[in-house]
Amino acid sequence: MRDRAPPGEWRPALRGRDLSFTHRRAEEAAVRGVSLAVSPGTLLAVVGPNGAGKTTLMRLLSGSLPPQQGGVTLDERPLSSFADRERALAIAVVPQSESSPFPVTVREMVGMGRYAHLSPWERYGTRDRALVDQAMARCAVAEFADRQLSGLSGGERQRARIARALAQEAPVLLLDEPTAGLDLRYRMELFHLLRQLRSAGLAVLVITHDLNLAARFADRLLLLDRGRPLARGTPDEVVARASLEAVYDWPLRVVPHPGPGSDTGAPQTVPLRRDEA
Amino acid sequence: MAHTPRRLALLALVAVAALAFSVSFGASGIGPGELWGALAGSGDPTTRSILLQLRLPRAALAALVGGALGLSGCTFQALLRNPLAEPYVLGVSGGAAVGAVAVVVSGLGVVLPWTLPAGAFLGALAAMALVLEVARRASPGRMDMRVLILSGVIVGAFFNAVILLLLSLADVESFRSAIFWMMGNLSGADWGSTGLLALLLVPGALAVLSLARAFNLLSRGEEVAFYLGASVQRVKLTAYTAASLMVAAAVAAGGVIGFVGLIVPHAVRLAWGNDHRLLLPASFLAGTAFLLLADTVARLVVAPAELPTGVVTAVAGVPFFVALLLRGGRR
Repeated sequence: MRDRAPPGEWRPALRGRDLSFTHRRAEEAAVRGVSLAVSPGTLLAVVGPNGAGKTTLMRLLSGSLPPQQGGVTLDERPLSSFADRERALAIAVVPQSESSPFPVTVREMVGMGRYAHLSPWERYGTRDRALVDQAMARCAVAEFADRQLSGLSGGERQRARIARALAQEAPVLLLDEPTAGLDLRYRMELFHLLRQLRSAGLAVLVITHDLNLAARFADRLLLLDRGRPLARGTPDEVVARASLEAVYDWPLRVVPHPGPGSDTGAPQTVPLRRDEA
Repeated sequence: MAHTPRRLALLALVAVAALAFSVSFGASGIGPGELWGALAGSGDPTTRSILLQLRLPRAALAALVGGALGLSGCTFQALLRNPLAEPYVLGVSGGAAVGAVAVVVSGLGVVLPWTLPAGAFLGALAAMALVLEVARRASPGRMDMRVLILSGVIVGAFFNAVILLLLSLADVESFRSAIFWMMGNLSGADWGSTGLLALLLVPGALAVLSLARAFNLLSRGEEVAFYLGASVQRVKLTAYTAASLMVAAAVAAGGVIGFVGLIVPHAVRLAWGNDHRLLLPASFLAGTAFLLLADTVARLVVAPAELPTGVVTAVAGVPFFVALLLRGGRR
């Protein structure tokens, strides 16, 4: 594994074709006939109301759920043909939540991102340790490196989980509501970080409920509703009053972002109060 | 991680000291001085034979059984993601006990002594296979840990019922031997059983130790472990099989010695954290040292009679563990 091309060269795309999935004992399909590409150098935001199938879609793309219909390919190869470690070298995932009965330190947790690069008896090398430090610094958890994860706030834990995904050095990054629990500053920091990663050539998919940050930072948006893709395209194409009102079943207005900055004019969604509607 | 080699070396030293201590004391009153003479090949033949044929194999057996219980306890905790898990939680001990009690009650154990460990080992294997099969049928395609726990507990309960049935049919003498066996007892030790146990332990221990990183991932949850590159289903099956085999071998050799497999991994967790690369080997070494000391006490306190080793591990282990918990709470 050590002599493969240094990560950073390989820029594969992750593609889902006609994906469908119905959970056991569920009446309706969670995802029905969704096709999408997570392409290198692109930040794709998946938005939609609760229960729209966003997380199921991400689990299908990551390989943790085998699709009942359709298929997923990575670099034109079926994802199911990848060995587990090989897949983890290509796709890093930050799932919505996790818990453990056995507390570990932040450094141990972020270090787990390197496991896919190591054989069972191999020890961390200098490069592994440097990457762990770097990932912790990028997510602003370096100062807690040797503290127990369980003693940190929810937002700090979330940043440690993102740092672990960065330490994985995968060219494809999938994040499920990574801004949950993050305060205003770290939400902004996170989206800036995702933007940087995308500019470095990573293929990034982020599930988020923050339509406004998605519209300001993402290259493309995919709006899901009841398992179906309802709209896709640039923020201007997707963030439109009529479709959002229908999907969320709530009155709202869409206004341009006042700026200053390169995102001036990005469509910002303002939900109305009941008495304003 | 930088501490790992130093900490393991320290524990290995403690285990060797416990071994020396255990061999140096016994009911015959032969002390440490004669021991070294006997090892060097001098000294009187009776002393030599007590040391080489009684104390040494027994200490070696205690060391191996303790290590196996510490390591498999730690493995079951990681596998089931449950700090309360211990080597007997999935019914392996129940199966072993049915096998052993059947041998004792049938009178076979008196005629052919080797049938006792053999019966226990076969019973343990049967329990292990039964639990796995029930769990696999109840959750096809994947091994669901919640189903495995339920399956283990239920199979264990059934075996306990069978033990009660057998015991209620037994005469007084076999009843007593069966109960003593179930308390955990190392008095049957000889070089044959010790060597056999060592042979059985090596592959299981190596398999489990090679999964240390996978256990770190698994303790973050199966989905997270999958994303970080673990082959979750294979790891679970390997861990279950290897740990159950070690327990089966340990129980066949020493009966159902309690508390070692629960307390030892926890003591190490409390002291040194939850990285399984340190935790697994440390649990083996600490289990070794702990059972050696407990067994020495079991041989000495009511000499020339003996206590079942499992009684000592329970009586000594619980206060020790409470003290550790209190210390951990202060930190």
